[in-house]
Amino acid sequence: MLVLTRKVHQSIVIGDEIEVVVLEVRGEQVRLGIKAPKNVTVHRKEIYEQIVDENKGAADVRPEDVPE
Amino acid sequence: MNTIQTRFGLLEFAPEDVIHFQGGLIGFPNHSQFVVISLKEQSRFRWLQSVEEPSLAFLVAEPQHFVPDYAPTMPEKVARLLGLAEDTPRLVFTTANIPHGKPSEMTLNLAGPLLINAETRMAVQVVLEDEAYTIKHKVFHQAPEPAKVAA
Repeated sequence: MLVLTRKVHQSIVIGDEIEVVVLEVRGEQVRLGIKAPKNVTVHRKEIYEQIVDENKGAADVRPEDVPE
Repeated sequence: MNTIQTRFGLLEFAPEDVIHFQGGLIGFPNHSQFVVISLKEQSRFRWLQSVEEPSLAFLVAEPQHFVPDYAPTMPEKVARLLGLAEDTPRLVFTTANIPHGKPSEMTLNLAGPLLINAETRMAVQVVLEDEAYTIKHKVFHQAPEPAKVAA
């Protein structure tokens, strides 16, 4: 993993179109601003993983278990 | 008409019925083309059947059938991506999850709705910022304990 040190208001760019800015650091919390093209989705990882699990679950439902 | 052999049997569909999910569903980036099918008439459920992978189908429902006041604000970015104006007809589904053999434990993912532009049939799975909606919304509440009758 690439590790970079940044200060508040500094940013990193990923490829040509994505920029991640450190907006604020307060104790253990870091606020990030993300500029990305509209076809790039950005999610909090834990939420993303839960939705992946729900999607997998929905693809694993047996028709005989579906209520009327 | 195209024909595929799904896990529910042979399915015929017209190319104009296909819905295109931008980037696929979350966790399924390689499957973007689906048709919505019903296995039973008058069911509140549908299957989002992949036309690229015949064994892949997600159970979905229109959330209003279960949560009448479900009306999340869709992020502006999503509306732009799908070309949705205020009056563009749209469809909203949520995935439904039923543990094997336990229909009463069904949950709907209200936090990750599937939003479809009904005119263009372009779609996206949205991740809502609104924390009012949960990923595992229980649909059927436990039946209350029967009241005990005094002897």
